Amino acid sequence: MSYHCPVCNKVSSTAMDLARHMIGRGDKVHRDWISAKGFKFSELLTMQFRSFGGEGYKALAEVLEEETKVED
Amino acid sequence: MSKYSVIGQRVHRVDGPDKVTGSAKYTFDMVLANMLYGKILRSPYPHAKILNIDTSKADKLIGVKAVVTAKDTPGRKQGIWRRFPELCDETILCGEKVRYIGDPVAAVAAIDEDTAEEALDLIEVEYEPLPAVFDPLEAIKEDAPQIHEGVELNMNVTRHIEWGDVDEAFKKCDHVREDKFKCSSQAHVCMETHDAVASFDHGGKLTMWTSTQSSYYIQRLLADILDLREGDIRVIKPPTGGGFGSKFELDSAQFCAAVLSMKLCQPVKIVLTREEEFTATKRRTPMYYYLRLGAKKDGTLLAKEVRVITEGGAYTAMGATALYLTGFFSSFPYKYPNYRYDGYRVYTNTAPTSAMRGFGAPQSTFTGESQLDMLAHDLGIDPIEIRRKNGMTPNYVVPGQATIQSCGLHECLDAIEEHIKRRGELPPNRGIGVAAYGFMSGGIFNWFDTPYAFSAALVRVNIDGKVDLFTGACDIGQGSDTTLSMICAEELGVHLDDIRIHASDTGICPADLGAWGSRETLMNGNAVKMAAADAKSQILQFAAAKMGANIVYDLDIKDQWVHLVDRPERGVSYFDMVKEAIRGRDGEVIIGRGHYTPHRKGMISPAYSFGVQAAEVEVDPETGRYKLTNVTTAHDSGTVINPVGIEGQLEGAIMMAGGYGFCEDQPMDEGNILNPSIADYKLIRSLDMPECEILEIETYEPEGPFGAKEAGEGLTNPTAGAIGNAIYNAVGVRVNDLPITPEKVFRALREKERQSKQP
Repeated sequence: MSYHCPVCNKVSSTAMDLARHMIGRGDKVHRDWISAKGFKFSELLTMQFRSFGGEGYKALAEVLEEETKVED
Repeated sequence: MSKYSVIGQRVHRVDGPDKVTGSAKYTFDMVLANMLYGKILRSPYPHAKILNIDTSKADKLIGVKAVVTAKDTPGRKQGIWRRFPELCDETILCGEKVRYIGDPVAAVAAIDEDTAEEALDLIEVEYEPLPAVFDPLEAIKEDAPQIHEGVELNMNVTRHIEWGDVDEAFKKCDHVREDKFKCSSQAHVCMETHDAVASFDHGGKLTMWTSTQSSYYIQRLLADILDLREGDIRVIKPPTGGGFGSKFELDSAQFCAAVLSMKLCQPVKIVLTREEEFTATKRRTPMYYYLRLGAKKDGTLLAKEVRVITEGGAYTAMGATALYLTGFFSSFPYKYPNYRYDGYRVYTNTAPTSAMRGFGAPQSTFTGESQLDMLAHDLGIDPIEIRRKNGMTPNYVVPGQATIQSCGLHECLDAIEEHIKRRGELPPNRGIGVAAYGFMSGGIFNWFDTPYAFSAALVRVNIDGKVDLFTGACDIGQGSDTTLSMICAEELGVHLDDIRIHASDTGICPADLGAWGSRETLMNGNAVKMAAADAKSQILQFAAAKMGANIVYDLDIKDQWVHLVDRPERGVSYFDMVKEAIRGRDGEVIIGRGHYTPHRKGMISPAYSFGVQAAEVEVDPETGRYKLTNVTTAHDSGTVINPVGIEGQLEGAIMMAGGYGFCEDQPMDEGNILNPSIADYKLIRSLDMPECEILEIETYEPEGPFGAKEAGEGLTNPTAGAIGNAIYNAVGVRVNDLPITPEKVFRALREKERQSKQP
């Protein structure tokens, strides 16, 4: 099972890893995809600098779990 | 016995006598016939629209010759990013909006400085203040004021570096640490403030004398912004009182002086005040750092994740490069099999942040070396041992980024370990901390048209054997004039005082990108060496015919003696040979040409210096005050060209880097810098300097001239981290927020006490 980035097709082994990648890229196309799902990109990013635990990633990962999973 | 005659000798600087006797003429000292004096009016608001500018009263003041605003300029945005025009976001004079306190709005030329200053007060600017934002974590919010039109979340640059599989690797770690850090700003505090004398003549030619790190870049940037041809601009760098990264971009003194001079066809001189220097020039980039580091229980590093948000200030300047380099040097000097860096640069309504000695590496070294010590403590491993276990080695390849050729890191670790043993058992509240680093010897990147950095040099051998060396390299106090003269003399086989250097005048010198990223010794040094070798070969061609050896003998020149290599007693005076060679060419002087372009050398640099620094502190646990008592550095800069030069670079670096760790900061209130004077900006001064010792580790760098690498900028990287680690070693508290002031140490000690009393 793997997860393919809906923007650049990078393959990750878990939805959490994919969420880290998409927030990490931070460019407009990745941000726009995240915003279209109802998230505020800036909140997800600043959470990374204000607390540990990856709470922002978890919320995005739940969406990615549904939308980007590919059975190998 | 040294194989070199000049290299490695302790020599005084070639510009030393002029400087110590006061006869060196800086831009600051220049006076030209009919010269006027300029002053700049700056915004008092961090963010505001300009509704109207009325200069009529200023125009009428007796002694004022011109007042210029944005409408007197071609209206272009400037920046060094010719290949990325969206990053060229700064106008000479603001016409529509100001974005930080200090943004230039108008400029005046008058018969003297006092009149120009008085005229500034008569210029009436109507502003409409706008909401402003000062912290990058606030500036990226969707509802934050937009600083540049079209730049969403005020995020103008992102940078990413990745290799391996970081997420999988963390799962295999026995121990993972997550830590946050905040790195402060820092002012360059050059002895000589930004200044320029611009002289535009009736033939449409502009000459500028200016304190700069790159006459080449200034020439080209002026051409872009003033709509002139590059060939119609001549930039001359007189002796310069420091740069440290603040002077290789166009600044307000340069462009306002040029605009005024073009309007009047008279020379105009602008010298920024010390207050302007603090408030209206670029500064070190403040950064929020998030680090995650994973290792096996034996200390083998498996993965590192780095996330950085930088406070960009109002304009891009060189901040995008600092963003990349901080991510690159976060991977130094260790072998990380898996690494990821995500960097974000965010506009704020503060003075722009840009390049400063180290160029993002002091921040990455402070955070990385602090966290590595914390990890070592968690695992019960000696700090030197964990560095030894993971340190880079010669020929290591940083995946997708760089190949390390020479690397003396392990020898540096050994030397510092010996040093610490020699210091013996320390008294209470005294501790030693170490930090390791690596740094580039010149950047591969060039923000201009060509994809590679380059340097060029010319050597002219005159009929009396004396040599003129022409180079675009810029001596800004680091001693490149001396270093390059030594390289030329060694290669040509003459003495240092046979060389006269002409540097950094675009009218007569070949191109060099300038003094930044520690490039002059390696890059221009290679160009100079090639030029000297070219000149020497022309002399030796004549000598071979003249000396008529009947079997094949190699010839060389050493110590002003042209001789057979295998029979050195058979030779001719260099001076006699040159005279005859030139006579034989109908009096045409001998010209040698050289250039250097680092093809196929990775993403960052052709070579890297390495080092380990040990800082010793003594802490007063009652007050948090501490003293930096000793800083010892084991440093690998390849072959040492000028030992006296390196000692000076080291001491200067400790002063600057120690200040970054200990006391230097620029606190702000609503975008207003609160300490814009040397009285209030805390610097390490001569009485605060610790004992300094350098342990030189010689390696040989195949890319460098005679095996040399950089020596100066890398030395600014480790000190803040070494200080932080030393304080922990002394009193068991850690401060992750630069500068590590006594107040912060005091608070940390009280917190530690409070926690120790809890059940």
